[in-house]
Amino acid sequence: MLSRSAERLYWLARQLERTENTARLISVTMNLIYDLPYGTEVGWRNLLTICGVEDAFNKSLKTPTEQHIIHFLLVDVENPSSLLSSLSFARENSRITRELMPDEAWEQVNEMYLYATNNIDLLSGRRGRMLFLQEIMRGCQRFTGFMAGTMSHNDSYRFICLGRNIERADMTTRIMDSGTVLLAEDRNNLTREYESILWINVLKSLSALLMYRKQVRQHIKGKDVLNFLLKNPDFPSSVKHCLHEISHSCIAKLPNSAALAEQIHVLEEQLLAVDMTATTPLELHKTLDGLQTEFNILHGKIAETWFFNNLTE
Amino acid sequence: MATTSLWDNYQADKAYDEMIDTQGNARPLCATLGQYLQTLDSDALKGRRSAADAAILEMGITFTVYSDKGNIDRAWPFDIIPRLIEYQEWKKIEAGLKQRLKALNCFINDVYNEQSIIKDGLLPAELIHSSSNFRKECIGMQPKFGSWANICGSDLVRAGDGTMYVLEDNLRVPSGVSYMIENRVITKRVFPELLQNLNIMPVDAYPMKLLEMLLSLAPRPESTPQIAVLTPGIFNSAYFEHAFLAQQMGVELVEGCDLVVKADDCVYMRTIKGLEKVDVIYRRIDDLFLDPEVFHKDSMLGVKGLMRAWKAGNVALANAPGAGVADDKVIYAYVPEMIRYYLNEEPIIPNVPTYLCGEPDQLDYVLTHLSELVVKPANESGGYGMLIGPHASKKELKEFHKLIQQNPRNYIAQPTLALSTCPTLCNDKPEPRHIDLRPFILQGEHSFVTAGGLTRVALRAGSLVVNSSQGGGSKDTWIINTEQ
Repeated sequence: MLSRSAERLYWLARQLERTENTARLISVTMNLIYDLPYGTEVGWRNLLTICGVEDAFNKSLKTPTEQHIIHFLLVDVENPSSLLSSLSFARENSRITRELMPDEAWEQVNEMYLYATNNIDLLSGRRGRMLFLQEIMRGCQRFTGFMAGTMSHNDSYRFICLGRNIERADMTTRIMDSGTVLLAEDRNNLTREYESILWINVLKSLSALLMYRKQVRQHIKGKDVLNFLLKNPDFPSSVKHCLHEISHSCIAKLPNSAALAEQIHVLEEQLLAVDMTATTPLELHKTLDGLQTEFNILHGKIAETWFFNNLTE
Repeated sequence: MATTSLWDNYQADKAYDEMIDTQGNARPLCATLGQYLQTLDSDALKGRRSAADAAILEMGITFTVYSDKGNIDRAWPFDIIPRLIEYQEWKKIEAGLKQRLKALNCFINDVYNEQSIIKDGLLPAELIHSSSNFRKECIGMQPKFGSWANICGSDLVRAGDGTMYVLEDNLRVPSGVSYMIENRVITKRVFPELLQNLNIMPVDAYPMKLLEMLLSLAPRPESTPQIAVLTPGIFNSAYFEHAFLAQQMGVELVEGCDLVVKADDCVYMRTIKGLEKVDVIYRRIDDLFLDPEVFHKDSMLGVKGLMRAWKAGNVALANAPGAGVADDKVIYAYVPEMIRYYLNEEPIIPNVPTYLCGEPDQLDYVLTHLSELVVKPANESGGYGMLIGPHASKKELKEFHKLIQQNPRNYIAQPTLALSTCPTLCNDKPEPRHIDLRPFILQGEHSFVTAGGLTRVALRAGSLVVNSSQGGGSKDTWIINTEQ
């Protein structure tokens, strides 16, 4: 397949994954904040940190109110990783790769985009916002399910999976990082009191609650949650699982992938070596930060191997 | 027709109407459609139209109009009432179109080789050398099967007497075929019950026929040929079609930057595995942008060395560079002669009478009858730079008078034809609107004609301009076999 097409598909998948993650993150946070008492150390600002757009938001000189933050994260086109920006990039990428995917793939993304642009008004009210986010999450899942069921699991498909899993692993580390604040020794009493609700929320942001419960049949504790999200081999959003998917389902059958496979292997070893019980919150934060850097390096390697491998001739 | 009907005020007496005769009755071919439409009131029609509009948006069937800055996403204009043609009539047209393209290809091959038509005095050499689509780089080339124009879109119009004429042949990069196919998909969604009861010929064979034709052009037939559609990119007005055809054929859609010509004069594309050889390119880029080594030096769309590879016989280009020499409105006037000359046959479909401004006596006639004629530049497409005499202001007439005198070779004139009309939904009521028809003809090892084609409709009352780039709309076209 063409290098250019591979790159487009990879980004299409990343952008759709980002769209879905943003929708879920906001939806879960909304649910949480509505029944938490004032004074707990979570809030809308937290979302900006998780999405890595705190600086960009501050530059926009808006006050960090619910409305402003939600607007910035969902529909602000000035924010390149807002839900609407991601969705519209995804749409352009699926438009220019529509010859590689079943018809319905493009139609699915296009429909979702049309829904989003036609229903921006819904976002001002909380009820409408919920409906909106639900529709977007469902749309993304329909796309993923549709592709899994109708597209040949060929090179095109592998690049889609590759993009999705890198983006997913990245998001999981960000959400985990947001949880480390809950482990801090100096957290206030109110936060301590609602701790398990907050950890449940972390799990919900990754649709992980039920699967976690099935795996860890105990009172919910922060370090167990983090351990699960980092190392569980079976849960689709765990970092371990994402890396496994990348190395086994995606790149194993792609050409010239030996060096990358080796790099991922090293990363997996690092992951397993993290001892959650012996780690301080600060160390954990550094580990997660380090992982995000590794993902960036991985991305660079992917681009070098398949997207720009033969530009000089 | 029924008493209180949407059709009461339908005036089909100004031109030949494809559906309603001058007495206000549906023509026999259209009886079923007529009866069916009778059962729908204004609200129901509106509902069907909204369903069609929604389908077009969802399927992302788009067309770009160049003046829309930044808008790469205009929804395809579609009218839900189909246009019908009888199968027996169509058979004849189909034969006529194949005949025409065969003659045109003989002509192009002749122009770049022996030039016998000139030596035999049937066509002045001057016409060829002054044609802006003549490419001296192509002299001596002999593409497979003598077929230069592999994909042709000819525009047909029906005049007042019911006769179909060929108005022009588009031999460069004609577009519209994807819309023909998608129009049928939409109609199936909008009028499923109607399609079931009529014997309508399917239109979706085209992509497979196109693929077969492209395969037949491969320079190395022993291996499975690698085929690519070459597009200028997402900002091109027909990008939707390029992607559509590549997808339907299951071949790569490439841009110039994806291709490279190496020292062995072969074309390669950049893939995740490295470079892969390309055998046949269906190029949707104009000649002059194909290869900066030979044509426009600053073309970002083309591929350096592509002409070299083509001339070495290492890659097939469809349509072949230089094929546009026959896509010239002056050359058009000679097509009936070509058919007699090369094929020794009589033309099956007539030409529209054409005045060549380059001929002094014909120029005089054109200049004195400007207000009755349609004047077209010889080498434009998309309906740009045209004058429609009867609809033109004094200022426009004066302007064209001057333009023609300055460069007579560049203009032709034709009588204003009363293009046939077809009922078209306007404000949720059917009104007659002028239409034409663009069938698509393929010629490689074999010839093929689409079943019908793309019917284009001028959406403004009285307007004769049907081009999509000028705000025209489109209709599904049904070839109906009534004999079964």
